Amino acid sequence: MALKTLLPGRSPSGAPARPVSGRDRAERKLAFRMTAPSLVIMALVAAVPIGYAIWLSLNQYSVRTAGLSRFVGLENYINALASQEWWAAFGQTFLFAGLSVSLELILGTAMALLLNLAFKGRAVLRTVVLLPYAIITVVSAITWQTMFQPNMGLVTNVLSTLGLPGGDVVWLGEHGYAMAVIVMADVWKTTPFAALIILAGLQVISAETYEAAELDGASKWQTFVNITLPLLRPAIVLAAIFRTMDALRVFDLPFVLTRGANGTESMSMLAYTQLRENRLVGEGSALSILTFLTVMVVSVIYVRFAGGNIRDVAKEEQ
Amino acid sequence: MDLNRPALPLQNKATNRKALAATAIAAALLLSACGGGAAPQGAEQAAAADPASGANASGAVNICGVKDASGIYKGTAEAFTQANGKVTAKYTEIGATTDEARTQIVQRLEGKSTECDLFVTDVIWTSEFASQGWLLDQTKLVEANKDRLIPSTVETTKYQDKYWGSPFFTNAGLIYYQKDKVAKPESWQQLYAEAAKAPGNGYVYQGKQYEGLTVNFLEMLYSAGGEVLNDQGDVKIDSKETRDVLNFMSDGLKNGSADRAVLTYNEDPARLAYESGDFGYQRNWPHVYRLLNATPLASSFAVAPLPAWEGGKASGVLGGWNLAISAHSTNQAGAVAFIDFATTPDWQKHVAMDYSQAPVNEAAYSDPAVLQKMPFATELLASVKGAKPRPISPVYPQISQAIYKNVYAVLSGTASTEEAVKKMADEITTAKASF
Repeated sequence: MALKTLLPGRSPSGAPARPVSGRDRAERKLAFRMTAPSLVIMALVAAVPIGYAIWLSLNQYSVRTAGLSRFVGLENYINALASQEWWAAFGQTFLFAGLSVSLELILGTAMALLLNLAFKGRAVLRTVVLLPYAIITVVSAITWQTMFQPNMGLVTNVLSTLGLPGGDVVWLGEHGYAMAVIVMADVWKTTPFAALIILAGLQVISAETYEAAELDGASKWQTFVNITLPLLRPAIVLAAIFRTMDALRVFDLPFVLTRGANGTESMSMLAYTQLRENRLVGEGSALSILTFLTVMVVSVIYVRFAGGNIRDVAKEEQ
Repeated sequence: MDLNRPALPLQNKATNRKALAATAIAAALLLSACGGGAAPQGAEQAAAADPASGANASGAVNICGVKDASGIYKGTAEAFTQANGKVTAKYTEIGATTDEARTQIVQRLEGKSTECDLFVTDVIWTSEFASQGWLLDQTKLVEANKDRLIPSTVETTKYQDKYWGSPFFTNAGLIYYQKDKVAKPESWQQLYAEAAKAPGNGYVYQGKQYEGLTVNFLEMLYSAGGEVLNDQGDVKIDSKETRDVLNFMSDGLKNGSADRAVLTYNEDPARLAYESGDFGYQRNWPHVYRLLNATPLASSFAVAPLPAWEGGKASGVLGGWNLAISAHSTNQAGAVAFIDFATTPDWQKHVAMDYSQAPVNEAAYSDPAVLQKMPFATELLASVKGAKPRPISPVYPQISQAIYKNVYAVLSGTASTEEAVKKMADEITTAKASF
């Protein structure tokens, strides 16, 4: 239910729109009044820390002066944007997000289609499939690290026993390979999440649509490309937004697996190092805000472009 | 509300915006949760601990630090309480990992918390904490206890000619070797040459991009006569010694003396790899002795101090933990009494026998009871006495990052020695300027 209403652009009934009435307006007012207290709390909980973080990012805190701050304006931002580290982390984070999210969407769609079929034990399978998502990321990262350990890891052992390439590679110690392991670990863990959202979208598509297609003599593939995929688009877009925002903030996987070595340092890791390890509060806050802005810009772009698609779908349906 | 009412395009847009706003806020909250405040305080006007005060101490003392895996902190607190009679000591775990404990300590000190009287501090934290005026000056106390402390261990508590802590137990790197396969390491050149001779002779160390790589690198650099900062605090890393050590380490990876897998090893993976029996030499800390003894390698391995370069003198890097008194402690006399107890030659013997840690008292290493539990005590003492502290600076974390990131770049083949040395020197200079 919650997911159904979350899916934008599709009304539960699919009935045509009608003009705004007086009763609608009154209802909206009431809704606003009822949600006002929680809006105020949200504003306090969210705005205060954000405001504080922005304020911190405009100051320079020095270990020498025992934390006393000096207002420096945008200096921390300028320094960050002028640094090679930021752009390296920026590029690597986007590479990671691009690779992992596209794989997750493809595999998630396939998984959802499979889980949507009627077969015995479907409920059990649906639960089992979700298991990786229930495992804490740090724990799964350690598991992946163990699997790819040179000389004694499961994967490296199997590969070299079978004489396949990759058995003698130090996976987490080589550029490219290290990123591949991190992407794999992320795909393994969060594909079920994407599948769950897409599955919810799949179940909203009415059986009549398929019956009509069948009557028209459409092949399975035609049905999939012309009916399933377009109707599934809002769900896929939603999954993509969630996953991209998560992926752009990635921290634990590279932190555990490589400590950012071999070109796997993410934007969040950079901010963490400055804030926590180096106690450079101003610089670290500026990096956090930059990460936050990046995530926000990407989601706005998503909603703009993909949101257009959502509206198209809604119109087509009407 | 009518659930069957159709959704309007306008509402869709609003829903999208709201969902976006909500997720954006959530993202911001996650990010901003890391920010921290700070309190002004000068290092100069720090108060000093009075060595005589310990004798008349009473009340309770709270010691805070990392999770007590070996039981040494709780054990010491209990033994002290029993022996002293007037002061009761208690150990509070405030962090699961070293890193987490540091964050917790910094938060308490910044907030002038009186919760903890003593902190168990990693040797590399001294300058940072002392520079903030967070610690009690222990110079007089250290002077009073000096004859029972190994000089190199006391050096790890020094910042600006004063001592800000007392060493509790120390740590130094050792070489574990398979005596039936390879010769005792006499020099780094000989160790690497021997390791390259046969596939099963290889050398494993800690080469992952983290603090441990800084330590592994500095052990070789110090032995070569190189340094990071000189006594005046000038950056001295751009040197022939640094280049020689980097080239030597990277050649060692190329010619198979050291397995490329070391690029992913910290302490435990290095130990596990060594336990497979596929290697000849391993660089690790003393605690590995006990673990190796429980494996099939028990009868075939031996322990040696870190080697020197041919014709040179060996010089390792000190690890270990110190006892620092909080500037906000409400029972400084009790804290002094605890330090007096923890550093007595008698208790230092227990540090070795009961908890397998390296004592800070030299006599303990030749005690027969200790030697029975720790047969490599002589080698360990040689390593400890020859070892030097890591660069002394309040911005040590940044200096260490500059070292391990650039050393890693050379070892993994993404940077040339020349590039890395220049970058290392630049980054350390920048780090120092941020103080």
